[in-house]
Amino acid sequence: MSTRRDDPAPGSGPQAPSPSSMPARAFGAPRHAAVPRMETVRVTAPDLARRAAMERTRARLVFAAGFFTLLFLAVIGKLADATIFRPLHPREPPLALVVPDPATPAAPGEHIRRAMITDRNKEILAISLPTAELYADPREMIDTADAAHKLKQAVPRLDEAQMRERLASARQFVYLARRLSPNEEMAINTLGIPGVYFQTSERRRYPLGRVAAQVLGGVDVDEHGVAGVERFFDDRLRQGADPLRLSLDVRVQAVVRDELLAAMTEFQAIGACGIVMDVRTGEVLAMVSLPDYDANEFGDAPPEDRFNRAVTGMYEPGSTFKLQTAAMALDSGAAHLWDQFDARDDIKIGRFTITDFQGKHRWLYLPEVLAYSSNLGAAHIALTVGGERQRAWLGEMGMFRRIGIELPEAGLPIFPPVANWKEVATMTIGFGHGIAVSPLHVVRATAAVANGGLVLRPTLLAEPSEDGAPRDGTRVMQQATSDTMRRLMRLVVTDGYGKPADVPGYFVGGKTGTAEKVGAHGYKKHTNVSAFISVFPMNAPRYAVYMMLDEPHGNASTGGYSTAGAVSAPAAGRVIARIAPMLGLFPQTDDAAAIQASLAIALQPGHGTPAHGTAAATRPETDRGETGRGEAVHALPVHVEPRDQRHEASTDPSSRTSDVVAVPPKDGFAAPPKDGFAVAAQ
Amino acid sequence: MPALSRADTSLLGRWWWTVDRWTLLAIATLIGFGYVMMLAASPAVAERIGQSRDLFILKQVVFLAAAGLLVVLVSLLSPRGVRRLALAGCLAALLLTAMTLVHGVEIKGARRWIALPGLSLQPSEFLKPCFAVVTAWLLAEARRVPRFPGTLLACGLYGVIAVLLKSQPDIGMLAVVTAVFFAQLFVGGLNLVLVGLALAAFASAGVGAYALFAHVRSRVLRFVHPDTGDSYQVDKALEAFGNGGLLGRGPGEGRVKDVLPDAHADFVFAVAGEEFGMLLCTLLLGLFAFIVIRGLLLLLEESDLFVVLASAGLVTSFGLQAFVNMGSSLHLIPTKGMTLPFVSYGGSSVLAVALGMGMLLALTRKRHHGEVP
Repeated sequence: MSTRRDDPAPGSGPQAPSPSSMPARAFGAPRHAAVPRMETVRVTAPDLARRAAMERTRARLVFAAGFFTLLFLAVIGKLADATIFRPLHPREPPLALVVPDPATPAAPGEHIRRAMITDRNKEILAISLPTAELYADPREMIDTADAAHKLKQAVPRLDEAQMRERLASARQFVYLARRLSPNEEMAINTLGIPGVYFQTSERRRYPLGRVAAQVLGGVDVDEHGVAGVERFFDDRLRQGADPLRLSLDVRVQAVVRDELLAAMTEFQAIGACGIVMDVRTGEVLAMVSLPDYDANEFGDAPPEDRFNRAVTGMYEPGSTFKLQTAAMALDSGAAHLWDQFDARDDIKIGRFTITDFQGKHRWLYLPEVLAYSSNLGAAHIALTVGGERQRAWLGEMGMFRRIGIELPEAGLPIFPPVANWKEVATMTIGFGHGIAVSPLHVVRATAAVANGGLVLRPTLLAEPSEDGAPRDGTRVMQQATSDTMRRLMRLVVTDGYGKPADVPGYFVGGKTGTAEKVGAHGYKKHTNVSAFISVFPMNAPRYAVYMMLDEPHGNASTGGYSTAGAVSAPAAGRVIARIAPMLGLFPQTDDAAAIQASLAIALQPGHGTPAHGTAAATRPETDRGETGRGEAVHALPVHVEPRDQRHEASTDPSSRTSDVVAVPPKDGFAAPPKDGFAVAAQ
Repeated sequence: MPALSRADTSLLGRWWWTVDRWTLLAIATLIGFGYVMMLAASPAVAERIGQSRDLFILKQVVFLAAAGLLVVLVSLLSPRGVRRLALAGCLAALLLTAMTLVHGVEIKGARRWIALPGLSLQPSEFLKPCFAVVTAWLLAEARRVPRFPGTLLACGLYGVIAVLLKSQPDIGMLAVVTAVFFAQLFVGGLNLVLVGLALAAFASAGVGAYALFAHVRSRVLRFVHPDTGDSYQVDKALEAFGNGGLLGRGPGEGRVKDVLPDAHADFVFAVAGEEFGMLLCTLLLGLFAFIVIRGLLLLLEESDLFVVLASAGLVTSFGLQAFVNMGSSLHLIPTKGMTLPFVSYGGSSVLAVALGMGMLLALTRKRHHGEVP
């Protein structure tokens, strides 16, 4: 069968072919080139059948869609019926559901509680007490208003109006009260109100309140640690095993806080920080940051109170860093005790001017540089050591890393990148400016200087630690250097700015450090961070004590000064006098003279020898190079470290000859210094 | 979403401009519902069966994410690709379904699952969409190529599957497969006399199942006479709907999930009704209806028989599954355990439904002149 699409309409009758049925050809073209005007389409029978089938398919698709519409409408109808028109309300729960399963309530103590935290003497610092939380299912209650009233009678601290409002809601679970004491739980339980339930819970308490608040940190409502030790050891504490024993000693902690608070009040400081650390193990016995807060009120404490200055605060260490400068110079052989350093004139370098506080305006021997805390002297010593060695030394002392103590708040020091570690940086860092580290960084580095040359990771865990790993320090200097440094630290207290920290019989050694605070526009005048780092007893170092006041104000008793020697050193002395007996150290008064003699060192070793400058010509050029640590570096009695060329160019031309002068040793330093230092045993 | 240019001829560009974006959006919304309902119903169930709550939820989070990905990936295929995937899938699913009879894990009296690490695989779920596409191909091919015994082959394949499912036994799945097969024959233009015969056979098979299988009988009896026997599940589900009302009790305030063993799977619609109310249930139902009815009506403009039959089969299977689940929860039909697509908990079900929907999207993509490459 075939069809022509252009069949004329039926009934039109025969007529002349329409023009469109005539083949079309171009004007003048031959007839055989004509093109039909209309194409005849032939549709085959199978094709037609397929089309018909497709039509049927479409009709059936519509039918299927209609069928599904019916199905879904039926569901909607039934849904509306079940939810709105004829809702089937739940029957009252059978009584059996309400009867508590005797196995469900946790027996006292069965509930796994967060582990205790204790100090090194097992005094409780943090403990979780069992409490109960009160909730209710109002639908099980007979008279909710009456229930609220009864609950109020039983536990007066509850809010009756609030409870009534909550119980009036149609929910099946409403909280009524948290942290009920066992007595309150008992009182409510005896009321026998149906629909009232208890949920066993616990509450973290810090019985000592403000003691070590920032160290302990806190927990959230679900007893998960969110700060401090609670957070760092969260997993360990949640497993609820044995108490976590910290290295802190609450007695020492209390003394440090006491003295810090007194000093802070006396000098109207905005904050303070105190640390006591065992220099042999790195255990931190006390870490105080003021202002502080009651650890039980952690959630309400303002951020400035939660701030732990000991590890989070980054301060310019100031002159306490001169110990590092001296130690690196002595250990590397770059300078010697009897070397003198130019402290006559202020150093102008770039836009900086380096000056001395109460300067002597003369050449100073290395011990004098520390005793009088000369910035100029320290800057010259640092230049003598050189920036590269200075960086390496401070790196080994851990000044460029987080402190590594078990506190999540431990911060990252601020220090110039290598590219900016130029001459100015070397000089200023030599006296502790242009770098900011946490107080604990200073304590660790000073402990390494005093303890024989081992740098230790400070820890808050009591020894032996839980993992039983031995705590090995890393040697960063020779024993001999440390021995010399101990004498120098003692000298600062006997003859320098550290005098107020001395405690008879404990041979305190230390170093003051006063740094102007950095404000928005450079250093702020008369706004200091005044710190004193001390170690005692210097003949056999045991503990480092660090006391720092933030923005102290001088008063009449200090002659108006707010420097570390005036405000922090006396506090350190008082702390040492009080804690040493607690820690089992007794003042060595019987052989005090002998011990002091063993620690003595002259302010001006070899004083009276030819003046500076004369030795410059004798300086052996071969000693210019690096002197490896571990070698005997004090071999030459006359040794002048050549000056750095850049240094020479940038300082006063009048001192061009040399600012580092070696003098022949006298006064007990005839032999190489190593032999001359017979350190008294304990 | 960065606008894809019409002129973008990359795989994704072409996909974006040819895929049925309304259906895609409806599927995405359903997956979103899946997350919400899983969070609502799963913790209570996990607690009751003593599983780790977090793991229970995490598994379904992964499954739903995989399902979304699967929908998109499969919808990237050409109709020919879909056919090949379905053939391979049908073969694999058949073998695995046969394996369940030998190596299956028996859960609640039926051997339908194969234990894999992390999930129990129910291969018959995957059989459903693959069978629909393969049948469509056989029927369309029979029409196109003379003397190709496509219809016969399709009937043979259906017979094999029916025997397998009856042996598991999984009468519900068999009913769905049968209905899909029937729908495809019907849409394909089956003689109305034969349609009548098939319906009669269906009815007699129902009577046969009622007579042969005790659990089918008890369910039907319970449906017809709710007061006799144990109608605990349906009662609880209806109570849940009644408790929910128009707006629901609020998230977490539902109780049915604490008492119904299959609250997270077969009765998830009741949980939705109790916690979110009739309005949200209607929206959910509307999404299913939208996908099904839109899918069927879009086929009116399609000229390729294979695409029409395959899509109709896939849509029917999807829609019937949703209807049976919601109808069971509402006591509209006798209880039949069947998952609500994308919303119920369960890895096999979600992935199989995603496979089917991906195939549907791939088949209904706009093509130049409707040509099937």
